[in-house]
Amino acid sequence: MIHTPETDKAFKKQIKESLEKDFMRKTLTNFSVAYRQSRANAFSGMDLEGMRGDIACMKDAGIPNLPELFDEFKKNAEAAGTIIHVARDGEEANRIIAQIAKENGVKSIVKSKSMTAEETFLNDHLEKDGYEVVETDLGEWIIQMRHEGPSHMVMPAIHLSRYQVGELFSDVTAKKQDPEDIEGLVKVARKELRPKFIGADMGVSGGNFAIADSGAIGLVTNEGNARLTTTLPKVHVALMGFDKLVPDVSAAMKILKILPRNATGQALTSYVTWIKGTNECAPGPEGKKIQHIIFLDNGRLELAKDPIFAEALRCIRCGACANVCPIYRMVGGHTFGHVYIGAIGLILTTFFHGKEKARGIVKCCLNCQSCKGVCPSKIDLPYLIKNVYAQVQEEDGGKPLKTRLTSLLLKNRRLFHTTMKAASKMQGPATDGPYVRHLPNFLMGDHNFRRLPAIADRSLRDDWKQVKPKVKNPKLKVALFGGCATDFIYPEQGKAFAKLCEKFNIAVDYPMDQSCCGLPTMMMAQMDTAKDIAGQNVKAFSAGNYDYIVTLCASCGSHIKENFPKLLTKNGEVPKNVQAFSDKLIDFSSFMNDVVKVKDEDFMNLGRKVTYHYPCHLVRGLEVTEAPMALLEKAGVNYKESNECQVCCGFSGSFSVDFPMISKNMLAHKLDNAEATGATTLVTDCPGCVLQLRGGAEQRGMNLTVKHMAEVLLEEKK
Amino acid sequence: MSQGEILQSMKEGAEKVAAVVSQASTLEEAIAYAVNLTVEEGGTTIAAPGMDEAAREALGKACGEKGITLLDSPLRNQMTKIHTAFTWADRGIADTGTLVLNSDSEELRIATMLSETHVAVLPTENVVPSMDSLEGYMTDHFKKGAGYVAFITGPSRTADIERILTIGVHGPERLHILLAENFEGGEK
Repeated sequence: MIHTPETDKAFKKQIKESLEKDFMRKTLTNFSVAYRQSRANAFSGMDLEGMRGDIACMKDAGIPNLPELFDEFKKNAEAAGTIIHVARDGEEANRIIAQIAKENGVKSIVKSKSMTAEETFLNDHLEKDGYEVVETDLGEWIIQMRHEGPSHMVMPAIHLSRYQVGELFSDVTAKKQDPEDIEGLVKVARKELRPKFIGADMGVSGGNFAIADSGAIGLVTNEGNARLTTTLPKVHVALMGFDKLVPDVSAAMKILKILPRNATGQALTSYVTWIKGTNECAPGPEGKKIQHIIFLDNGRLELAKDPIFAEALRCIRCGACANVCPIYRMVGGHTFGHVYIGAIGLILTTFFHGKEKARGIVKCCLNCQSCKGVCPSKIDLPYLIKNVYAQVQEEDGGKPLKTRLTSLLLKNRRLFHTTMKAASKMQGPATDGPYVRHLPNFLMGDHNFRRLPAIADRSLRDDWKQVKPKVKNPKLKVALFGGCATDFIYPEQGKAFAKLCEKFNIAVDYPMDQSCCGLPTMMMAQMDTAKDIAGQNVKAFSAGNYDYIVTLCASCGSHIKENFPKLLTKNGEVPKNVQAFSDKLIDFSSFMNDVVKVKDEDFMNLGRKVTYHYPCHLVRGLEVTEAPMALLEKAGVNYKESNECQVCCGFSGSFSVDFPMISKNMLAHKLDNAEATGATTLVTDCPGCVLQLRGGAEQRGMNLTVKHMAEVLLEEKK
Repeated sequence: MSQGEILQSMKEGAEKVAAVVSQASTLEEAIAYAVNLTVEEGGTTIAAPGMDEAAREALGKACGEKGITLLDSPLRNQMTKIHTAFTWADRGIADTGTLVLNSDSEELRIATMLSETHVAVLPTENVVPSMDSLEGYMTDHFKKGAGYVAFITGPSRTADIERILTIGVHGPERLHILLAENFEGGEK
């Protein structure tokens, strides 16, 4: 049985327990690293972006027409002898399947892997009714015997070691099995399950595609168990979600070309099985198979009509969003999800299994965009997760006090900025140079893994008059979008930018009505506040006719560029001034490299040893990877690449306060990798990452200076 | 892509997923390959559904000479006894090294699913460069009513224990592909 924590406290307790599972963490970390390479190899020479776009497009065209696709499928499948059912929810699906078993005098059932059957807890239901149900996928068989749910959509037993499997198989066979002999363990399954296939009266499968214009279904598998499940028993039942309907073979093949490559880095799985109607089957009536297909609704048809969440139905169940998730690899699927795990699990759980099961997990997202970057159907997973979180809060009828206060404060720019000023004054005795001396009580314990910066004595806006570049006949006129961290914590980064601009003859404005970008409110799922703040910021910059709006904060940048248009869409359209603001927004490194076009000879080439951390929102949010490398090369530093330099540092604003135990582990990983390069300076392009990395390096007493790219360029500038 | 390049791609694609690819220029050569392989592996039986009469007769003779039993229909009664499945493939998909088998026949399904070794004869003129060229075949196949088509890419595999790739879970442990030039033997 699956136990998913329904309260914050229970969820955090489970996270702590998961973090202690060293084997699992090591396995998932290795997997995460290996996966990136095998995926890249699998798509080499292919137009991956084009393929992803095609799938998104094809799915989006089908989602509003699922009932029509279903009617067409039903007509064609029925003509070939299949019996079609619709189940409104999991319970009804299970009842229908039990009824089919009863009508056909079934005693034993073999199953091939089906996430949809996991969704309905079909095995529990059938076993309660007295049927013998045997999972035949190796991983599923293992977890069935351990009474666990799958911890990954594609590799359900990935959390287990060979020793755990060896022990289990020794029990099953009543004979000692050598855990080091994995091939031997696999053969145990072959040998033990063969008689089950041969003796079964009914086979239950899932399905990857239901092809409307023919009435055929498609199954994508590796082991060969789905072929046996659909061939040997006299009855075949396929349980599929409505979202598996596609118009034709061409659409199915589009998915097939991307699914195995994105799931496991295979060009194609060992088997793809296409079945239509009642095929030859000797033990069946008149030598024909009895075939039933059950289409599960369980919220899907309602979801299909939702303007925001319909996108979730594009999912083709490849599991990649878990493979790349830095949280998944720390805590595993039993903690990071309910039945469906990973990013898509955080979303689907609410709709399929209810908010009780989603309440804990839905908060647990870094918004690092890794999942979005690999999703084969381009689902904006992080955005949907925040929207689910908002919905859960709404249904729970009350937002946490911290959330309400933040919302209130950030919505009112004057109040917010006055508060920051007051806080800067009041913190005096509690500071130790640029750091907070003692953490406030509520931040003790788990939170003590990094030193937190003090609020600057004077903010960037306080000093702007003196800082503003003095230029005549500037070649460009830009505005700086500061963001909270640059303005109030690290004004020196903003000042470095201003000095650089002065040297390159660029005029810079700092519109005083600008405020927080609003991302923190979206992270807390305060969508209304996020909209409000977005609107205020667009207005603050609308007066100046700027060539560019530059930001030193990758997070603000990607939020403005991508989420402002989404948040401020009116009647299905993005207002012109919003689009213009978003279009003009550029990150610091791209601005210096691509617009200002700085040159090698601008810099002194001090030859320091440098490594670089790619901020999530730079590399995946803004899709910028080359500019920072080009700048470091021009600056003449001795660059050493860190392992996993594009993985999140674990900051993610309030996430690191809500989940310090995860943040701490991610930071440790990051700093270990930086340390291994031997670099003395760690450069990045986001003040949030600076906060996390610098605080961690300081706490560890490392010989590693963490700087924003703007500071490094200024230091290197001739 | 020339036919030569397509076949080269088929060979590479299939070998990448642990299939063994060879050439056969006559029916006798293909039969000898399947029979000898069975003997080498210590097997004693061959199931060969879907062959035309002449080919089946030649196979029966070759089996007899080596002491191998050619299993008769129905295979359902002999499901635990099949060592080698010897079948024809309808299409090959070159870039993934995939075999396409019209598996409407239950005999063919049982043989290719429950055998230890699968030897498939693939007529070279039926190899297409990629899956895109197969849409017509699939659409036609399912126009007529019930049907079962199998794409087979290498032997059965799993990585469910510690992500270690292991060959031979529930399906054949070995897959041999014989690229066949200019001869027939599959049922029409």
